[in-house]
Amino acid sequence: MIEDNVKTITLDSPDKPADEDTLLEVRGLRTEFRTTRGRVAAVRDVSFNIRRGQRLAIVGESGSGKSAMAMSIVGLIQPPGRVTGGEILLNGTDLRGMTDRELSAVRGSRISLVFQDPMSAFDPIRTIGAQLVESIRAHQPVSNRVARRQAADLLGEVGVANAANRLADYPHQYSGGMRQRVLIAMALANSPELVIADEPTTALDVTTQAQVLEMLDRLVTDRGAALMLITHNLGIVAGFCDSVKVMYAGQLIEESDSRALFASAAHPYSRELLKCVLRTDRRQEGLLSTIPGTLPDPTEAFQGCSFEPRCPLGKGNATCQSVEPSLHTVQGPQGIQLAKCHFAGQHELKENQ
Amino acid sequence: MIKMILKRFGLAAATILGASLFSFFLLRKLPGDPARLIGGDLADEQTIATLRQTMGLDQPFPLQFWNYLSSSLHGDLGFSYSTGQSVGTLVQTRLPATVELGMSGVFTAVVLATVFGAVAVYRKKRGADILLRAASSLAMGSPPFWLALVAILLLSVNLGIFPGPEGRLSPGIAPPPTFTGFYTLDALKSGQFGTFFDAVRHLILPAFTIAVGPFAFLSRLFRSQLRNTLREPFIVVARSRGLTRGSVFLHHAVPNSLLSLIAVTAMLVAEAMTGSVLVEKVFGWPGVGSLTVDAILQKDFSVVQGVILLSAALYVTVSFLADVVYSAVDPRIRAGVK
Repeated sequence: MIEDNVKTITLDSPDKPADEDTLLEVRGLRTEFRTTRGRVAAVRDVSFNIRRGQRLAIVGESGSGKSAMAMSIVGLIQPPGRVTGGEILLNGTDLRGMTDRELSAVRGSRISLVFQDPMSAFDPIRTIGAQLVESIRAHQPVSNRVARRQAADLLGEVGVANAANRLADYPHQYSGGMRQRVLIAMALANSPELVIADEPTTALDVTTQAQVLEMLDRLVTDRGAALMLITHNLGIVAGFCDSVKVMYAGQLIEESDSRALFASAAHPYSRELLKCVLRTDRRQEGLLSTIPGTLPDPTEAFQGCSFEPRCPLGKGNATCQSVEPSLHTVQGPQGIQLAKCHFAGQHELKENQ
Repeated sequence: MIKMILKRFGLAAATILGASLFSFFLLRKLPGDPARLIGGDLADEQTIATLRQTMGLDQPFPLQFWNYLSSSLHGDLGFSYSTGQSVGTLVQTRLPATVELGMSGVFTAVVLATVFGAVAVYRKKRGADILLRAASSLAMGSPPFWLALVAILLLSVNLGIFPGPEGRLSPGIAPPPTFTGFYTLDALKSGQFGTFFDAVRHLILPAFTIAVGPFAFLSRLFRSQLRNTLREPFIVVARSRGLTRGSVFLHHAVPNSLLSLIAVTAMLVAEAMTGSVLVEKVFGWPGVGSLTVDAILQKDFSVVQGVILLSAALYVTVSFLADVVYSAVDPRIRAGVK
């Protein structure tokens, strides 16, 4: 039923068309979950490119499909979820056509993941060292001793004091922030080309957040890896990522250069998101801003724009209610932006529309 | 740590004391007079009264219990009215047979349950899963003594694959020199391979009979534990590090799921040793179980009491051992984390 009213849209992305610089190319990715109320699409025809060394932020509220998209890319979407369409090309090779064994060789080696909850990310009954060594030896033909030395170096690199001795410690002997560092060390163990960090700082306190981001930043730069940072917090995106893609209800609805987005978001949803960022450099009156309403129920078929019921601009507008917007190109003050909105780039509706 | 150990010992002592008090009380209140049993139907009242006096049966109940307790603590569990042997010796000669049988049974159950449970979950084949669950339902519902009878009828009497209910060895084969009391191990140690194979042949049927119940229980438990573990976040994280499905299953899912089997297995060991009473009887296994059945039939107080005391001690020891094993294999417990 959802299939009927979703048109496949060919994106005219601000990313340059796929060329030698393109690391990952996602085309028409669609991920569905089988539920008691039918099949629900968590990711709906998402397309984008990541260039080598690029830092891309995927921003959206909880349930917008960010994590489902990340897990789909590495083929780890858990049942009842399933990737039902699209291509995921890493250096031109489609990951979807790979066997589990082939994909395993990619995961943790060419594409690494950093997860949200460092507390539950480790096997509780194996030492940190054993798990690091395991990750290294899964991809590199090295002896246990060599892998252990590498593991100690990695731990030291992410700022774990007394690294060689701490290899023998178990996960519960590490604090949350330290565990997140270890996760990052693990992700970087085999020099990945792409690091996907799924809300890596959400479970951490603010000081640790800053440290972890800084470390991620440094390590990605040092190794020349591309970074895909998934977050619901626009605040940490500024100054950290080159470009931002905003996700809403399983679709990318705005794709902009990071500076362009913060200067002037093209999609009304992005603007609402920006209003929700707590700014310490500005005095804020009253309550923190929120976006009224919730994400559309994915099990229910809808027509038109998925953001229409919550949109300050198009709510009640006949076009928004009936026609699904395609990706419009907008010349913003800081460059070209793309937005899936009938009124992309407009901050107010003109009377005649 | 010391406080915890003291607490555990206190608890253990209380358990054993409670069990012995309960059995002591129960046995005294059952109809029937042991003095009459010993004296025989023809003995006159005077003889019986004298017997009662020498046995201490004329004393008030609390005093009897006190006497029993204090002599127990000195290692004297009394003597069997029916055989005249001391309970300690009786139990000692019978215990190895029971332990050998119970351990083999539970060991078989654990191995089969983990292998079948793991295969059923890993293969994701619904058929294998349904088969396992059906088999375990059937097994859980079958009383062991009935299984024992069926096994003997089918595999021994009709097919002749296994020996009949003749105990631990074929008639005419001498037991190996005692070292552990386990015939299989003792035979191996002294190099008597003929005796070893005979002992194993005799062990297989009763051990499998005992294994059926624990297997049914453990395989279900392990299956559901595995499925739970596979849903843990660290499993997906391990996959994201590039480990294959099989590797994650074997190195992370299985060990974590096995942890939860320890406590249950410990209880099953205790149960197999104390609860295999009827199975032992059916197979003519000269263990504590047979001893108990005979003692109950003959109202042999001291023996029954001794066995109950032994069972209580066994449960306490086994659950203590389970804790020790836990702290050895689970780093969180070792460190005192909840």
